Amino acid sequence: MFLKRQMPTIIAISVGLFILFGHFINYEPIQHFVDNDATQWFDIIASFAIFLGALNMLKLQVLKVAKKQKNWQYSILAILGFAFAIFAGFFFRGANYVNLTEIDPDKVTQLITHISTIQDIKDPLLMKKSINSSLADYEIPKIFISRSNANHFAGLVSGLATDVTVGSKPWGAHVQIEGSLFSWMFFKVFTPLSSTMFALLAFFVASASYRAFRIRNFEATLLLVAGIILMIGRVPVGELIPWWVVSTLIVFGFGALIAPLIMDKKILFGIIFCGFFASIGLGIIFDWSLAVNTPEILSITNISEWIFDYPTAAGSRAIMIGIALGIIATSFRIILGIEKPF
Amino acid sequence: MDILKKIFIALGSMDRRFIFLLVGFSVLLPKLYPDFFTLPIKASSHSERVFAEIDALENGAKVLVSFEYGPSTKPEIHPSAIALLNHLFSKDIKVYAVALWPDGNFMATEAFSAVAEKYGKQYGKDYVNLGYKPGGEAVVKGLASDIRTMYTVDLLGNELDEIIVMENVKNLLDFDFIFSLSAGYPGSKEWVQFACDPLGIPMSTGCTSIQVTDIIPYVENDQIKGILSGMPGAAEYEQLVRNTLSLRGIDVNPGKASINMAAQSMAHIVIVMLIILGNITYYLTRKSTKKGGVK
Amino acid sequence: MNNKLLLIGIVSFIIIFVYWLGYGLLFVEGNSATFIGIILVSSTIFFYIDAARSGKEIYLRPIAGLKAIEEAVGRATEMGKSVLFVPGISDMDQVDTVAGINILGHVAEITAKYETDLNVPTCRAIVMESARESCRESYLRAGRPDLYYDDIVHYISDDQFAYAAGVNGVMIREKPAACFYQGKFYAESLLLAETGNSIGAIQIAGTGSASQIPFFVTACDYTLIGEEFFAASAYLSNKPELIGSIKGQDIVKFMVIVIMITVFVFDTVRQMGLLDFNILTFLGLN
Repeated sequence: MFLKRQMPTIIAISVGLFILFGHFINYEPIQHFVDNDATQWFDIIASFAIFLGALNMLKLQVLKVAKKQKNWQYSILAILGFAFAIFAGFFFRGANYVNLTEIDPDKVTQLITHISTIQDIKDPLLMKKSINSSLADYEIPKIFISRSNANHFAGLVSGLATDVTVGSKPWGAHVQIEGSLFSWMFFKVFTPLSSTMFALLAFFVASASYRAFRIRNFEATLLLVAGIILMIGRVPVGELIPWWVVSTLIVFGFGALIAPLIMDKKILFGIIFCGFFASIGLGIIFDWSLAVNTPEILSITNISEWIFDYPTAAGSRAIMIGIALGIIATSFRIILGIEKPF
Repeated sequence: MDILKKIFIALGSMDRRFIFLLVGFSVLLPKLYPDFFTLPIKASSHSERVFAEIDALENGAKVLVSFEYGPSTKPEIHPSAIALLNHLFSKDIKVYAVALWPDGNFMATEAFSAVAEKYGKQYGKDYVNLGYKPGGEAVVKGLASDIRTMYTVDLLGNELDEIIVMENVKNLLDFDFIFSLSAGYPGSKEWVQFACDPLGIPMSTGCTSIQVTDIIPYVENDQIKGILSGMPGAAEYEQLVRNTLSLRGIDVNPGKASINMAAQSMAHIVIVMLIILGNITYYLTRKSTKKGGVK
Repeated sequence: MNNKLLLIGIVSFIIIFVYWLGYGLLFVEGNSATFIGIILVSSTIFFYIDAARSGKEIYLRPIAGLKAIEEAVGRATEMGKSVLFVPGISDMDQVDTVAGINILGHVAEITAKYETDLNVPTCRAIVMESARESCRESYLRAGRPDLYYDDIVHYISDDQFAYAAGVNGVMIREKPAACFYQGKFYAESLLLAETGNSIGAIQIAGTGSASQIPFFVTACDYTLIGEEFFAASAYLSNKPELIGSIKGQDIVKFMVIVIMITVFVFDTVRQMGLLDFNILTFLGLN
């Protein structure tokens, strides 16, 4: 019972207070622990904890297949994907390279021809320059997933240098290096899948905006107007909107604001039309069609930039301060042991 | 008039799948007919600021570029990375890449392989990729004190002391500029809070459009020198880099962000039209409900 | 209560005095504003926690989203469907996730009481373990440990969009009647909220990610904005010490507003040339 209840609380309180006040103590080992080691401890624990999560996920998917529960076929895909990633990361390096030593300078062009059969060469002259500057020791700029392919290529170019060796990139680097099996999986499978999920956002933003942006009250109208201005102002199309469209919108917007205050609709329409003709008249007199003459307020792009720089920044700051205070209070409760989420 | 009202009300309650189709077409058509949908790109003040800060760096300066994005946010941020590397390499600036996200490694590798060769830049001599380190802000703090506590080898396993470009580079104070390409946490905020602001190192960022509201207070406070906001920001920066480098005799291809801006513009227009349509329907429906109710 | 206030004041003063004495020797230089801030904030929150424990009535304004939690679980019970709880995509090192797990504890207690199915997909293994502990405790507190089993809380993936795809799949297949999104979210927030909307579920969201709040506000029925999310566990538990900490937090916010206005006024007057005193340098903000 002590291990489950009191021990976690003691650990949370002592470590929390230590990290908080350790930040102020002028003693190098404590400073180093607080700044570096403490977060790295967490990362190490989290890294090992991944096994728990992965095993849990695997267990659920395998059970689904074994018991042939609803949609069990999709679980096979999940298990296969998991197995493939483990295989490509831990068991199969798939990062073989071919190294040439003492290349014959007369055979550089031949070498380039051979390389062009396995990858696109954007600039043959640049490649020739690069080979010529490393005739003593040159690595073919292509990683082979299978050893046999690397050996086959090595066989093709064996007559062009004194020594041709086939090697394998070290464990660890095989995950990062472009052309390896893991890299292939990342760029050809994972990247399109992630991009697709992110692309769904565009459609969902459209349907959410369509459903939610209604002129129900003043705040909703403000949200709607700001949203439309920002959507149009942030893209090149915003630059194409002429000044008289923006001035008309401003006049009508002003009319909408004062409408509840003016009972007589004739007076209201009169004010709006006068405003409209006045703005057009001013535009003609001062030649606002020339970009240098156009007032900044009559450009959707400038208005959207202003919204970003002032109201958005101000609102963002206020929410950030509020959230920061919330985080302080929650952390305080956890450090004092008043709140125990663990 | 009644028929028109009924049409609007019917359109206002259309299935979301029709909305998805409309948005899909609005993005597809500019991609299929790009010549028909060419739009001029005008740089905002934030993008111009970023450009000016990078352009003011002297030849031989050292810039740390941090890759904190993955495949999902690649369309928004990767164009900024490519344009940035074009800008940096054209000025003979030494580039040091780190990644606070595991995916950032792959993004960095891809960006360098797309740009470095064109300028004849050699790995280890002109640029280095130190790779990913877990720990978020702990990595930033570690780099601020001593790079070699965080990294002993680079991404390819080479010892740091054997890499030419790492000579005399001990910590973040040895860098002239930091650029964070960020899609979330850890990202630009951590760089500002734990490195750039305390140490006084100038910094800019390229981030997703969603993140801009989080970062803009730092930009307004001049803690971050300009921001490339999502794909529009990337397109603006690409345009600035392309125009400037062509004046200097360097040919740069139009970037992916610039090409995709037409599609984004059309999508935004469609969404605005749908919002207006939805409001017309809402107004008409409310009016007919009021007429039917007690006056 | 005045004695307690005096005692807290004396202790805070002693701590600041010790800090001042050891400044530069025992304590690192350059952090004094932060240290004094921590002492002030801590003593304020501690004072109100103590006041609440002593029986002082503290008023908290009603928050619609929190009142709707029991209603949402009740709706799921009536419809014979499950409740989905998403604790965000960050790990336990983020306070948002901790706050989300606290709320999970309360939701789990209600689902145990109503015998409703609960499904908690997680993005991190450590969060999975913490969530399991929290649910186990809640089911035990509700007197229904027989209804709890470990697979209520399960792991999907560490990757943001793989997790979103997995949760969306759960929503489409199982069609929960109530969806809770409580924790740290990024771009996947709208994916989850829109999918939940499409299946007709009642949705209650809460997050400390400021950029995701607009998406939740647009797509969800109730949203806990900013501090409301962090105050939720105090609201739901109704424990005096937790409610006292909320009051303390509000007083600290008031102090921050006063300081902001003071600095603004002083600096404006200085910039107009009417005053030499630079309050920013005095506070160490320059």
